[in-house]
Parts: sequence; C-alpha cells; structure tokens
Amino acid sequence: MEKLDLTLNINHKPFDVRISPNDTLLEVLRDHLDLTGSKESCGEGVCGSCTVQLDGKPVRSCLTLALEAEGAIIRTVEGLADGDTLSPLQESFVNHGAVQCGFCTPGMLMTADALLKENPDPDEDTIRKALSGNICRCTGYAKIVEAVAHTAHPQDQCPDCASGIKSCCKAKE
Amino acid sequence: MRLPQFNYTGPDTLEKALDLLAAHGQDAKILAGGTDLLVRMKKGLLAPKMLISLKALKDLSYIQQDKDAIRIGARTSLADIIASGPVQKEAAALSTACEKIGAATIQHFRGTLGGNILQDNRCFHYNQSAFHRSGRQACHKDGGKICYARDESDRCNSTCQSDGAVALMALDARLVLASKGHERTVAIADFYTTDGILPFAMEPTELLKEIIIPIQGAASAYQRLAYRSAIDYPIVCAGVLLKADTGKKDTIGEARIVVGAMARSPLFLAKESAELKGKSFTDTQAFQKAGNGAMNSASTFAVHNVGATLEYRCAMVAEMVVRALNEAAGSGKN
Repeated sequence: MEKLDLTLNINHKPFDVRISPNDTLLEVLRDHLDLTGSKESCGEGVCGSCTVQLDGKPVRSCLTLALEAEGAIIRTVEGLADGDTLSPLQESFVNHGAVQCGFCTPGMLMTADALLKENPDPDEDTIRKALSGNICRCTGYAKIVEAVAHTAHPQDQCPDCASGIKSCCKAKE
Repeated sequence: MRLPQFNYTGPDTLEKALDLLAAHGQDAKILAGGTDLLVRMKKGLLAPKMLISLKALKDLSYIQQDKDAIRIGARTSLADIIASGPVQKEAAALSTACEKIGAATIQHFRGTLGGNILQDNRCFHYNQSAFHRSGRQACHKDGGKICYARDESDRCNSTCQSDGAVALMALDARLVLASKGHERTVAIADFYTTDGILPFAMEPTELLKEIIIPIQGAASAYQRLAYRSAIDYPIVCAGVLLKADTGKKDTIGEARIVVGAMARSPLFLAKESAELKGKSFTDTQAFQKAGNGAMNSASTFAVHNVGATLEYRCAMVAEMVVRALNEAAGSGKN
C-alpha cells in the first residue's frame, strides 16, 4: 500500500508524517512521533487508556485512523502541562493519589480535561458518567473522582476537607 | 493490534461515494465512526480492500423535523441525537438508546446512528482474536459449517446487539438506502434477513442514507440490561411505543413491543403488542402479562452467546418489557 504524507496539528504544533492508510492515530502518535503518553491497552475501544482530544472532544485514538484526524486539533496528555508546570487537573491528580500504576492516567486526564472545559465544577454523578468509558484497575476510582472534583476547588480551600471529614464535600463516598 | 492493509478514500459528495460503492461493492466498506468496523478488522474478522470514509460527507449529518416525521442523516453522531430536542420529545426511546451506546468518548462524532444500526451481529464464539479462532474449526459466520452457540444448528445464530435498532423498530422507523441512481425506503422491521452471517437485507452497493421516524404523538421508552454501564453491549433490551386511542385518551390504541439482543434481529412481538390494545395506561397487570408473553416468545430464538446465562437473559426479557411499558405509560405523553 502506498504511503501518504499528512500534517497533523498536535498540541498546537504541526507535525509532518508519512503514514500508511491502516495506521491508527495512536500508532502515529506513539511510533512515529514518540508521543508515548497515550497508551494502548485493549486496542478495541473498551478501556479508554488511548483517549486523546480531537477538537476538544475526547476520542479513542486506537479506533481513529490517522487519516481521519487530519484537519482536527489534536491534543494529547503531553499538551496539558506548560513546560514543568502541571495543569490544575494534573496537580489535583498528584495531590489526591489518583495515580497508582499510571497506565490509565493519560486517558483519565484527557477525558476529565474535556469534561472540565464544558463544566468547570461538576458533581460526582457527572464526573462518574463522564469517566465511565475509562477503566482503572488500581485506584477503585474514588481518588480519581475526588481529584477531578477538587480541580476547581483545591482541597485546602474546601471547608469539609479542612475540618477533617473523611469524605470531602465534592466527592461523597 | 494492527489493522490489515487497505486503500482509503474520502469522497466529498454522496454521488462519488455511491460511484465508489458501485465500482467496488463487496471489496469496499463504509467507514463512519469506525467503532465497530475497525475492531472487527483488527480481529481479522474482515479485511476489505477499500474503506470509503464518510468524514467529508457532512451532508449526511442532520436532524430535520417536519409535520409527520423526523429525518436523521445516517452519519449523525450519537451525541447530536442525544442533544436533539425533537428526538427527545417525539422519540424518547431513541434518545435513551443512544445514551446507552458506548460512552461519551464514543458518542462524540465517532459513533453514528447509521453505524449503530449496521453494526454486525455478535457472538462470543465468533468475536474473538484470530489466535483464539485458529484453535478450532471455523463457525458459520467465519466461513465454516459449525455453530458453537447451538449444537447441530445448520445456520448462524449470532445476535443483533444494536441499541438504536430496537428503539427505531419500536418507533416504526424507515430506512432510506441509496445506491447509484437508485433509492429505496424500507421499514426497519423488513430490513433483517434471518441469517446471522449477513443479517441485513441490503446490497453491498447500497449505503444507508437516512432514518425516518414517523411522528405519532405517542409515548416511547427503552430499557436495557448490560454488565457495564458504559461501553458494553446489551444482554437484553426492550423498546416500546404506546399510543392513545383517538377517542379515549386513557386507553391504549396501539402498542409496539420490541425485544433486542435475543435473536439475529430485534424482535417485534406482534401478538403481545396487539393484546395491549384497548387496555388502560394504568393497567400494570396487562403490562406484566405482556412482559411474560414477550419472554416466552423471545426465548424461542435466543441462544447462549452473549455473556450472561440464557436462563437469566430470558427471565430478564419480562423485566425489561415491563419497565419500558411502565416508563412509557408514566411519561405523561398520552
């Protein structure tokens, strides 16, 4: 099959790549461009670890052909932090222990980031529904949900958390 | 998992897409969102020589409402359908069904309604990796002569697990199929063969263009059962439509009960639907009776091939139908 030249707009930078039609966006990101933040796990759209944003919406990069992503604004987990400064969402993940093995984290971050763009202060049900397409096998989700909930309200400013109540105001257990 | 090799083309008009389909037919597949097609290709279940992408065919994404019908372009994303006011109002069952498909990450412009209707039938003996399947003889759907789901079966018993199709059949929707120089409209109830290998009565040169939902001023509801709330196929589901009698507002004039994930196609249960005619919208006993009838009728078709045990799925048919009927009757739209 012939190779095709393509320009992808990733994290606000143009990348020229030479690809085959059967390369998925995930393969191009990881194998051609060394953007290995996005992970492949199930490879069939079930787990969510390969989630990236296309035009601000979270999509499965393992089920998106690179050709189909041409012309879209692609954002990967590498585009969240500004240099060494983590985004508030990433900061919150670190502070809440929402990262254990870390394999699901890039997908969780990209899905949560898209949610927070639409709704900066979501309640627990909204968060759980938005993240329902992402599987985590370590944390049991509670800490991830807390981390997303506290992105808008850092925990040290949350009255319930400060008063030592175990389950905080945003993410009730 | 690598995709097999193929040629890719992205026509920008419907005519060009239909020309390509006419020229390549069997060798080509339509790529809309890819959430079903690409998974099957990754597993080696099919290897089309050409993918015709609908990416540039934005003309096929629309929701229009006129006096008697809502028309939905086949490429319309599930997210757009969920957000659509007319669909929520006139076709609540479809709105609910679309919400249950995949997850937000799939509903956003990757998953389309057309793709959901045309997702291939599934069976846990068939939808496996090439390595898994290489350890045993091929089944009917894989080109062989064996059915692992039902002993001695001479044909494929794969199950239609589409959410959207069940809701659309309850709503008595029609599908517009286009091919080069030709267009035809078919009721979704007539769209299915009874063959699990090729479940849809459409030619390889045809493209699903539009879904037409008649506006009947009726209440509809959809209920499904699945292991996971997101990214999972239903193991049983039911879509119903209840229309009030023109003379008596509190009496059911027409009912449609459809059960899904139990057979090679969604099952429209004519007998159970007809028995609800003339019953009151508050007659929960009649709903229970319809549910039990649906369970008996649907059980005949089901085989053990989508996860939960057959006994459990059959028992849950009644539950899903009763829940859907109660929801539709209580929705205040009658």
